[in-house]
Amino acid sequence: MEALLEFSNGPLFRLCFAIMILGLIRIFLLEIWAIYKAYRKAGDKNMPWKLILSRGLEWFFPVRRIGKNRPFYSIFSFLFHIGLIIVPIFLFAHVQLWKESVGISWITLPYDWAYWLTISTIVFAIALVIARMFSKSSSFLSRKQDYLWPILLLIPFISGFVCAHLNVSPTNYQFFMLMHILSGNLILVLIPFTKIAHCVLMPLSQMVCTIAWKFPPETDEAVCITLNKKGAKV
Amino acid sequence: MKTTEITGEERTKAFKSLRKPDVVEKQKLNVRYHIEDFDVNDRPRRFLEAFAAILKHSNYKMALDHFIRMSAKCSRCATTCQVFQATGDLKDIPCYRSELLLSVYRRHFTVGGLLKGRLLGSGYLTDEKLQEMADSFWNCTACRRCSLECPSGIDHGLITHLGRYILSEIGIAPRALVVSTREQLEGATKNTSAIPVPALKDTLEFLEDDMFEEKSVHIKFPLDVENTDYVFFPAVSDFLMEAESLMGIAAVFTATGDSWTTGTGYFDGINYGLFYSDRMLERVVKEVDKEARRLKGKNILIGECGHASRSAKYFIPTYCGGSSALPVLNIMEYTYKIWKEGRLRLNPDVVTEKVAYHDPCNIARQRWIIDQPRELLKAFCKNYVEMTPSGDLNICCGGGGGTVSIDEIRPYRTTVGGKLKADQIRNSGCEILVAPCANCKKQLRELVEDQGIDCQVVGLHDLIYKAIIFDDSQMVKKESEPETQKKEN
Repeated sequence: MEALLEFSNGPLFRLCFAIMILGLIRIFLLEIWAIYKAYRKAGDKNMPWKLILSRGLEWFFPVRRIGKNRPFYSIFSFLFHIGLIIVPIFLFAHVQLWKESVGISWITLPYDWAYWLTISTIVFAIALVIARMFSKSSSFLSRKQDYLWPILLLIPFISGFVCAHLNVSPTNYQFFMLMHILSGNLILVLIPFTKIAHCVLMPLSQMVCTIAWKFPPETDEAVCITLNKKGAKV
Repeated sequence: MKTTEITGEERTKAFKSLRKPDVVEKQKLNVRYHIEDFDVNDRPRRFLEAFAAILKHSNYKMALDHFIRMSAKCSRCATTCQVFQATGDLKDIPCYRSELLLSVYRRHFTVGGLLKGRLLGSGYLTDEKLQEMADSFWNCTACRRCSLECPSGIDHGLITHLGRYILSEIGIAPRALVVSTREQLEGATKNTSAIPVPALKDTLEFLEDDMFEEKSVHIKFPLDVENTDYVFFPAVSDFLMEAESLMGIAAVFTATGDSWTTGTGYFDGINYGLFYSDRMLERVVKEVDKEARRLKGKNILIGECGHASRSAKYFIPTYCGGSSALPVLNIMEYTYKIWKEGRLRLNPDVVTEKVAYHDPCNIARQRWIIDQPRELLKAFCKNYVEMTPSGDLNICCGGGGGTVSIDEIRPYRTTVGGKLKADQIRNSGCEILVAPCANCKKQLRELVEDQGIDCQVVGLHDLIYKAIIFDDSQMVKKESEPETQKKEN
């Protein structure tokens, strides 16, 4: 068990983390390249930067948004995201691991904050799944991954909470820790290949939508030639 | 703002197809709008070919790749879609509509989709799916309000726009739009309302006489004048249906003395290409640009029309020279500018009714023109009321995306598409609704009529025409009328 833990925590984690980082860099660069190409092709290169920025920021800090439409779902989602981002990055135990292995460290969460943020993330993940199930429109649209993701994300949070805050026997501790690390590793690997890629792609959304409406010139003739419609009547 | 769903009876009426069963059988497509006959064989393959050709020569691929990576299926868009709010039909949720096309893209144009399809042998585009798209994409009013509500930033309006474009390449597009565009690009009259130039001249002369009668000022519609500041392109239907808006615009130019003209070579601002085909969009804006350059105008001025303004503003730079393209203005921008400069005086005692302003989606959604008309209205309408939501979050009239021109779907537009707008107008209690867009005006008039709302729908310049104050030096004494006219002629 200890060897397995050591392996999951060491080489396996490093591999998964590398896949996530490289995968996200790949997908981000691919999109930047696609945006650059589209911009080069566009006939109108005038960009409404102010609008792009303000509409982008509106969703990064959705204070004006969360209370309006689907308020419960929005609030659950917002609070869930806060814990989901902050806890894994700023948890004292995680930062300690980074410090021991690569020698870098950063600000950490106070114990109480970590405790309550973990609980809130668990609660709001469950709330999100329930809200999705019981909303007629969301459940109609949902794919399997839309339910599986919050559930998968719950596993490292619950197992981590058990290890950090509950008195469990050493055997159980090792079991929960293994679950914690393995599920965490699985999440890291899946991030670049699923909808969670929005963690790096979201800042590009408004830009993509703006440039998508900026068509390349002379496409009428090009499409006509490709479809063998040259000279065809309207 | 909450609204009730439509009743079963209204629903049946709204979705009823007026097409003959034999036509539906022949075309193998059961949709509500009339379509010209097209090749019904092998439609999925031809759809995919058209899709591939369009992807090759456009920027849509970038957007579709982004959307399939981002979509979280949260259904927030459902809360703002007026069509879904009215029907309550889950298939009217914008995200579902977008998924119709995104799934085709994923299956046929991405490596993952191709592999999955080959391995599982499923997901190939079928005729049934085409039927669903042909229905769904024309249920949408293309107002793009949902795009503001998507946390992932997915522009469902763009996907609907692309879906309609691909369908049109295999012959599936509303006949009303295609026939008008054909007349505009290939017909003898070169405009969507098929108005011949002599009839246009007669109409304008008649309006000039009318204005002289009413205002005692020689207000002119200059035709084919070269080197003017503004070459004017209204929605051509204004010459038939919105004379007062045109009179208001002519009066404003007379009051300021700025030079403007309308070209008889091409005078139609309407661009249905924006609604169903990028290829037609390109051809039409090129005609506008050509005429403005023929007349050596300095600016292209578009009349009170949302889609015509957006087509010109955003796509003349695209197709006609980028940064060196002629500047495009909407008439409200011009009127606002000269009013701010103190060159336009308006009488605040003429319009006493309760007035509200409706934002046309095509000029408000991108926050292009929102405050200018409001400031103008507040300056001379004592009783101005605001409808909420408004501005870039406005509710569509229900006839957007070209649907207003499809007469056979009027019951759909006034019960489903315009339901939320009707509730909003009723709640505002306005007696005059200002809608500076030819499409909105037509739709809103039909909407208030069908929904039994007591409200008059006008353009901004209709009211300006009533309230405009001319300099005494411009006023002509009635007795000298025949002589003055002779001199002018």
